[in-house]
Amino acid sequence: MGSHAIEVVHLKRTYQTTVGVLRRKARTVEAVRDISFSISTGELFGLVGPNGAGKTTTVKMLTTLLIPTSGQARVLGYDVVRDAGHIQARIGFIFGGDRGLYWRLSGVDNLRYFSSLYHVDPDVSRKRIHYLLDLVGLTGRGDERVEGYSRGMRQRLHIARALLHDPEVLFLDEPTIGLDPVGARELRVVIRDLQAEKKTILLTTHYMFEADELCQRVGVINHGDIIALDTPKGLKTTVRDLSVIEIDVFGIASERLDALRSQPGIDTVSLHERGQKQTLLIHSPEGSEALQGVMDALSGLHLGGVTVREPTLEDAYVRLVGGEA
Amino acid sequence: MNLERLRSNLRVIGYAFVMTLKQNVIDGFIIFTILIQPLIIALLALWMMDDRAASHAIFIVVGSGLTGLWSSLLFISGNSINVERWIGTLEFMVAMPTPITTIIFGKNLAHVTQSLASMLLSYALAGILFQLDLSIARPGLFLVSLLFTIIAFVAFGLIIAPIFVMNPGVRGWQNAMEFPVYILSGFLFPIALLPGWTTPASYILAPYWAARALHGASSGEATPASILLYLAILIAFSSLYVLISRWLFKVMLHKTRVDATLGLQ
Repeated sequence: MGSHAIEVVHLKRTYQTTVGVLRRKARTVEAVRDISFSISTGELFGLVGPNGAGKTTTVKMLTTLLIPTSGQARVLGYDVVRDAGHIQARIGFIFGGDRGLYWRLSGVDNLRYFSSLYHVDPDVSRKRIHYLLDLVGLTGRGDERVEGYSRGMRQRLHIARALLHDPEVLFLDEPTIGLDPVGARELRVVIRDLQAEKKTILLTTHYMFEADELCQRVGVINHGDIIALDTPKGLKTTVRDLSVIEIDVFGIASERLDALRSQPGIDTVSLHERGQKQTLLIHSPEGSEALQGVMDALSGLHLGGVTVREPTLEDAYVRLVGGEA
Repeated sequence: MNLERLRSNLRVIGYAFVMTLKQNVIDGFIIFTILIQPLIIALLALWMMDDRAASHAIFIVVGSGLTGLWSSLLFISGNSINVERWIGTLEFMVAMPTPITTIIFGKNLAHVTQSLASMLLSYALAGILFQLDLSIARPGLFLVSLLFTIIAFVAFGLIIAPIFVMNPGVRGWQNAMEFPVYILSGFLFPIALLPGWTTPASYILAPYWAARALHGASSGEATPASILLYLAILIAFSSLYVLISRWLFKVMLHKTRVDATLGLQ
């Protein structure tokens, strides 16, 4: 295995579902088609992709929670199916959201309990819990019931839970989802600190700036395939030829979007919900010269700010997934 | 299993036990199941027996306590894995070095132990409110019977819980399974009152043998040899349940990892 903490070779996972009520038909869904990648020891690797792209399925296979349909995955040299027990003691993982805790118990009770499940010695556990509460910024709040915690506090408690046994590899599946900007920033600081401790981390995220800021390499997954894998800088070079036009709109019909997509000189068009408004992200190799045609296509709509800027990792991602973000 | 691992697993059982009790003391459904419902059953039985209640008081107390044990087993221990799935902790539990059977054992032990409160409450009700004589004829054998009853009920819970996870449809029958077991196990009246063809069904239920041992020891109507025989059968059933549960847990863990049903989407 060499210096790779994680190795994935032709990994595939399908699900069987049924549709219809009276005439039930079985349907096979390919969640992960045929992916291969490896993560070096101590690397912070990002897996990004739209909803349903296969990120969580991949993480669940690597954390031994799902059995792959075919292919092979090894974590710390152990096969995820055959040697699940060897892997479980040496990895930690969290899933986005605040489920997965005992809300009627205090934060410390939760950590003490999970610590026992990892077979951590009680004396070591006491010190470790104290250290981890400090690390995730919950010092002084550990004795309160989890039901009184904010979502961000629960997310941070999850991070502490995942670190109780000092794992070598961490799987963080959308850890900042649903957090307010301050909470998300604090969590990113914690993740950076963990990387400084030379932990191998697989991070999945929807937020490209997060992947750009934290990850050494990023894999873009879409429809179960890894369609690009490079450093954030390398991925950005794929959109070096483009300019990005950003326009704030307040309600836009899909026909308008289709009309925009058919404009000459337009590469991709994607729409992002941002609170009360939506932001149109238009990629064009013609830069500001394409702006007039765009404004004509949007005439009659209530528009906010209009910006023409250089592309970011998010733009590279949007181009790769074809405006599905 | 080495000594260190054994110690770790015992620690897990201890933590799971305490943690479950801490959560349950503020759970309204659990309080109803183990305290209120058995109390209602005890009250009804004492009123129905009227002037005969005095001679059957300990039978009613033990019987209503057993109803609390069974209801707790069926609704609380039976759902012990499903509850973890609903709150999102099951995925963490199965991906940890501790076997999930050890964790669920600790939780079920807490559920069954706490449901003994129903017996204590019925005892207090009959003794204080109805001023009935509640002396236990063979206290030593009664305590031993109680201990093996706890073990048998915990083992039974280890079978029901994975079945409920793998077959969500079966859970719909939980309510229908409550009273037939009260009746078939002879908790509140002897099964001799039932038609003869139901007897084999009673014989394959561990709660029936628990009830015979407890009723026999408390009333003194069974000889020590008979009680020991009931306990031996109870131990045999408990061992069988543990063996079956080991296989069921294995099947459940494989099936949920194949079907992707460890967590709720």
